[in-house]
Amino acid sequence: MNKEALFKEIFQANSRKIYHLCYGYTGDDDSANDLMQETFMKVWQNLDKFRNQALISTWIYRIAVNTCLSYLRVEKRQAKDELTDNIIENKSEEISDKDEQVASLYKCISQLEENERLIITMVLDEIPYPEIAQISGISDGNLRVKIHRIKQKLTELYNKNERF
Amino acid sequence: MKDFEALKNIWHNQVALPKVSHEDVLRKVRKTKNGFANKLLIELFGMCLAISMLIYVWISSPFKMWTTHLAMVIMISCCLYYLYIQVRDYIRIKDESLLLNKPEEYIDYLKSYRSDRYILNTRKYKIYTWFLSFGFLFYFIEIAFLASLWVTVIGMVFTMGWILFCYFVLMKRYIRKEELKLEDMIQDLERLQQQFKTNEPNENQI
Repeated sequence: MNKEALFKEIFQANSRKIYHLCYGYTGDDDSANDLMQETFMKVWQNLDKFRNQALISTWIYRIAVNTCLSYLRVEKRQAKDELTDNIIENKSEEISDKDEQVASLYKCISQLEENERLIITMVLDEIPYPEIAQISGISDGNLRVKIHRIKQKLTELYNKNERF
Repeated sequence: MKDFEALKNIWHNQVALPKVSHEDVLRKVRKTKNGFANKLLIELFGMCLAISMLIYVWISSPFKMWTTHLAMVIMISCCLYYLYIQVRDYIRIKDESLLLNKPEEYIDYLKSYRSDRYILNTRKYKIYTWFLSFGFLFYFIEIAFLASLWVTVIGMVFTMGWILFCYFVLMKRYIRKEELKLEDMIQDLERLQQQFKTNEPNENQI
């Protein structure tokens, strides 16, 4: 298989999940697309290193997580959060109930700490725990505790948000 | 009231799709690659031109004083140093393998990169300016013997004025701005690193 065909296959298999990860981290669609694009550009540049790797998705996630972490260097967090609220509120006027629930969920995710956003997005996308541990560099035991805590926090935030 | 499983269902029902295709990524890769290469090429070309001009002036002009030769060595060394720093940083930032590090290690790299750039833009730039000033000073010693007094004075005042303006006005402002930016970034990165620390939490936190 040539490099371009392999890349296409990898992109199709992973792009949606990586987009969700970036969306969960930034809270807005445009930045999520930019970060996803940046991630896959780096994947393309490193493709030869991955060729014989069994779990290529782990490495793609690792690149995506590090790309998201670098993004903070140029974006002011506070300004971003305000912006995120506005975007979600404006968009919610035009969308259905189902989409509104998704927007509300993203809004709650944006209120979590940065590493919590990354971890919970992977949990929601059903990435196996050992893989999440490998991506985030957090020990397996510690990760389980963290995930338990983030799940509780997110559920509380969502229910609180839904009441208002 | 919804539990986490309900949130998971909402998540899986989302229809938000990326607007970027694999062709877009490849197009951007080619464009960016050319962009980087061009930027580096222009910088390298500009500096090589400056070095060539200095060497040409050095060879073609019958300088008699050792101070002028020293001035030429200092100025060419400054240009070569600048060239080396730019190429080294370019290679460092292009090192894609760092992206495969654990997030905590990657944050460490970002911190050290930012600190190094800060040192380069402040302390090292200060030393660079001093050396360049000495270079010009030594150069003007011979000029003072060859040209008229007025030409020498105007040349020296203009050159030294510009260097002093860069050092005391532009440089001070730049350093202050860089310091604030660096402080913000380091704080953000430290906060992130703290989040990835692998200390086991207390049982009662569960």
